[in-house]
Amino acid sequence: MARHVGIVGVGQTHHARRRTDVSQAGLVREAVDRALADAKLTIEDIDSVIVATGPVLFAAVNQPEKWVADAIGARLKPVVRVTSGGGTGLAGALTGYYQIAGGFAERVLVVAYDKLSEGALQYSISTLYDPFWGREFAVGIMGFSAAYWRARMDVLGHTEEAAAMVGVKNRKNAMKNPYAHVKKEITVEEVLNSRPLAWPIKLLDVPPISDGAAAVVLSSEKAAAQSTDRPAWIRGMGYFCEADNAAQRSMLVSEPLALAARRIYRAAGITNPRRQFDVVEVQEPYTCFELSYYESLGLCAPGEAAELISSGATQMDGDIPVNPSGGCAGANPIGAAGLIRLIEGAAQVMGKAGDIQIPNAKLALVQSGGGWANLRGVAVLSA
Amino acid sequence: MTVPGDPHGGASGTAKGTLMTLDRVAVVSSAQTELRPAWSGAQHIDLISAVVAQVFKGTGLTLEDVDFVFDSGSDVLDGRSISNCGFLGAMGAHHKEESRVEEDGLWAAQYGVTKIASGAARVGLIIAYSKPSESETNAFYASQCEPFYQRPVGFDHRAASGLQAQRYLADAALDLSALARVTHQRWSDAARHGKVAIDKVPDEAAVLADVNAAAPLTELMLSRPLDGAVAVLLASEDIARRVARPPVWVTGMGSASDRHAFASRTPGRLEACEAAAAMALRKAGWQAAKADIAEVSASSAASELMVLEALGLAKQGQAISLLDNASTAINRSGGALPADPIMATGLVRLAEAARQLSYPAEYGLSAATSAIVHGAGGVGMQSHCVFTLEV
Amino acid sequence: MLAIPDSWAQDLTTFPSDLSMPYTLTPGRAAGTFVAEVKNRRIVGSRFASGTVVVPAQDFCPNTGDSDPELVEAPHTGTLNGFTQTDAGIIALIRIDGSDVDMTHRILGTALDGLKVGQRVEAVWGDGEGILAIEGFRIAANAPQGEIRPLEAPAKPVEQIPYRLDLHYEHAFGPYYGRLFDEIKTNRRIMGVRTSDGEGALLPPREIDDITHKPTGTWVELKQTGTVRAMSVIHLEFIGQTQPPPYIYAEIMLDGASTRLIHNVGGIDMSRAKELVKPGTRVRAVWREGERTGSLADISHFEVIDGEE
Repeated sequence: MARHVGIVGVGQTHHARRRTDVSQAGLVREAVDRALADAKLTIEDIDSVIVATGPVLFAAVNQPEKWVADAIGARLKPVVRVTSGGGTGLAGALTGYYQIAGGFAERVLVVAYDKLSEGALQYSISTLYDPFWGREFAVGIMGFSAAYWRARMDVLGHTEEAAAMVGVKNRKNAMKNPYAHVKKEITVEEVLNSRPLAWPIKLLDVPPISDGAAAVVLSSEKAAAQSTDRPAWIRGMGYFCEADNAAQRSMLVSEPLALAARRIYRAAGITNPRRQFDVVEVQEPYTCFELSYYESLGLCAPGEAAELISSGATQMDGDIPVNPSGGCAGANPIGAAGLIRLIEGAAQVMGKAGDIQIPNAKLALVQSGGGWANLRGVAVLSA
Repeated sequence: MTVPGDPHGGASGTAKGTLMTLDRVAVVSSAQTELRPAWSGAQHIDLISAVVAQVFKGTGLTLEDVDFVFDSGSDVLDGRSISNCGFLGAMGAHHKEESRVEEDGLWAAQYGVTKIASGAARVGLIIAYSKPSESETNAFYASQCEPFYQRPVGFDHRAASGLQAQRYLADAALDLSALARVTHQRWSDAARHGKVAIDKVPDEAAVLADVNAAAPLTELMLSRPLDGAVAVLLASEDIARRVARPPVWVTGMGSASDRHAFASRTPGRLEACEAAAAMALRKAGWQAAKADIAEVSASSAASELMVLEALGLAKQGQAISLLDNASTAINRSGGALPADPIMATGLVRLAEAARQLSYPAEYGLSAATSAIVHGAGGVGMQSHCVFTLEV
Repeated sequence: MLAIPDSWAQDLTTFPSDLSMPYTLTPGRAAGTFVAEVKNRRIVGSRFASGTVVVPAQDFCPNTGDSDPELVEAPHTGTLNGFTQTDAGIIALIRIDGSDVDMTHRILGTALDGLKVGQRVEAVWGDGEGILAIEGFRIAANAPQGEIRPLEAPAKPVEQIPYRLDLHYEHAFGPYYGRLFDEIKTNRRIMGVRTSDGEGALLPPREIDDITHKPTGTWVELKQTGTVRAMSVIHLEFIGQTQPPPYIYAEIMLDGASTRLIHNVGGIDMSRAKELVKPGTRVRAVWREGERTGSLADISHFEVIDGEE
């Protein structure tokens, strides 16, 4: 029988396009200090540390947890790095969750970061591709993502206008997020007329490249009270995958995400996600993905995502607000992005989301993922 | 304040011995490829899929029973980013829960044990692999050092091993022949058990006469990077009791990481190994010397002796005596010196120890009921992971 | 021990791959100040609130994780605490006078057998970048005992340091890619293997079916025509790009295959790319003239087959 696990402290940096005042380790430390302070703890209270970052080639330091451990003050504690492409932050939190649920630790610090300004992003992401089979054609993950959006356009009606509306919504929401660094509202026309990068993906469909870190303190039920009387309880969390070039792999509805959602909804007692969730945070590396997630997460039926965004239901004041934080559109330190989504979901159900608080939010859905759109995770948080 | 490495014993008001009953977790099976200098005729996926296919044999379980796959490999060794992403099919992970632990596979096993212990899963597949023959091992380690002070001066894992050995030999008042003995012994053990490709076991003179690697260490005194893959099947108690072999229970786990810069660590000691061992042994409730079997990893012949001491199998500076007289069977597999499939070395130790507990006679043991297992990571072995196993 | 097919060929060639990644790394305040000052022949250390002194300077105390140290000036002298010799030369543990931890650097001017732990050393200055402005340390029996002093008028920290990670690989082809690329090179045939249920064909070929984890079936030659499954029009320019934009990134299902092949669709008026190439567009492989490489580059591109949908 699993022990209950709660999020009792959260912290993130004020994300930026480029931080030249701190090293990767210094960036990590900022988020850790904030999460520990939020949890009213010091590093001495932490039993175990999980470090989650994007791929090594983003940052030129192999097994970087071994370097940043000094900045965390983690000497002689368990420290391990979990990595899973863009979804690394959530995958790391999941490891921490099981360390507590499985009795290995009472309190776990999960820290996730990327300092993307330091590397050549598209080049390093392109090395995701098999060196024998397709790497020379890779355009990071953007060419691929755009290609399957183009396919979803025909089959599911995920139009350029609908994706533009996602961008407009998320940019608008990011205006009130103190940690976001892209602070400029845009219009649908501006998105549609922006420079094509990997058409149908255009400049304003693309999130920023960011330097940033995020940290959470996970706690057993027993130890949680020392930090807060209102933890964000993890009702379910899972991270599923799909073999990247398996036969008949559907790129239309994300099967690993739908699978993760089904499993976690069952564990958390969710039967009608659209009605039951008060707020949703998704990791949308490009605007088109948010439309796809609506369907894979069961917020609407396949083919209805364009209608859902047009209806206003996913706006701040809609019945199922998605990304009150602005999502990746406001800041996108890739390795941290999944953990930031978890933090934003937790802040909502803890009632401390400030200017982006959804009134009375009790149940939050968090999505994250990475790789070749084939690593997909979901978490359900409750007050 | 919580004592480092002691999540349950601190005064911070955390669990304090009130742990809920968690599911017991067992190692039920393992499979490994031969460990070779180069599997030049096979790709990563060939090695991985081979061990995954093999690991179910004799268990009555199939891939369908597996709830999750946790794997260890390295993007830098593999030459591709998010390399797990390209190997999911070979790992049997399609449409399952999967995570990459970018550290030795023993840490992936640690993650797997917590997941099963929580009751959230019953069968987990742990995989670790590498093909260092396809890349440059030095680049793999050098790129772990922070890039401002350590990397530019040429400091790397070999230098760390040499510095470690110099200090150890001085502290223990040993000369290099002791390390030659250790090396010869481990190569002999590995050759006896047939899972490591060995043309010729070097005698002590050959070890001493080999080329300099990191003075005082010769090349043969360093662990030898090899290609290979290993898979381990973990299961909850109800499943474990149904499979053919007696379950090998995981009764303790610990891990710890030391300061990053080798130069800033306490000289002559592996404090993180001590902390990891203390954590695991506290859970297990026994002392290392009680273990019938020890399978440990090491970057060099000197650091193997240091590990044995840090685990508590010998007093400081006295591990060499274990070669002549030990109640614990140490590295009957040969350990990491003759065969270091980076990222998989510690998980191989787990597989070996579990096999020795299941089939002690094959290893010249009359009976065995407990084992201590060790894995390490990082330059100069910054990080350590320890398991205790019992039957 | 497993019988993995190792009998394919004895003199196996490998597939070389080089990753050469450029970076601009930020050292942070302590290391950034160190790098700025070492050019001025000043060695910067950190003194933490606990009193611990760390040379060279670190933002975080390795012992406790304390932050925000006072930056101090360290002497150029110290003690040899350990040494080894690797291909990189003699690498030593050096305790700068007044520091509480060692640092690693080279020893110059003395052979290994002339070194003893406890010897006094002093910095040898050079004109390298970063910490290599100290070329190394040399034995200096009479080096005076130095002391830590306040760092007067510290230079501004260096904010970015160019760096490059060069990684070289020789990837094994293995039995399946070996035949795949031999056939492409020699016979201009594209070979897959049957899925484990025999219903489809996997490209690239592989031993184990990703979905069933059962052995795949027999080799099968695939047609060189296929259907665009997904496509995008690339305008982005980036470091490491292998061709100038614009071009079409396409995922193509060859006729008879169950998995995608990634390539370019070309030979069209690129200004009309999004009208001319769509999911469903029929395409055909166009082989490259000239030297054959035994890789996907032997296919120049895919061309649109007019009149088919």
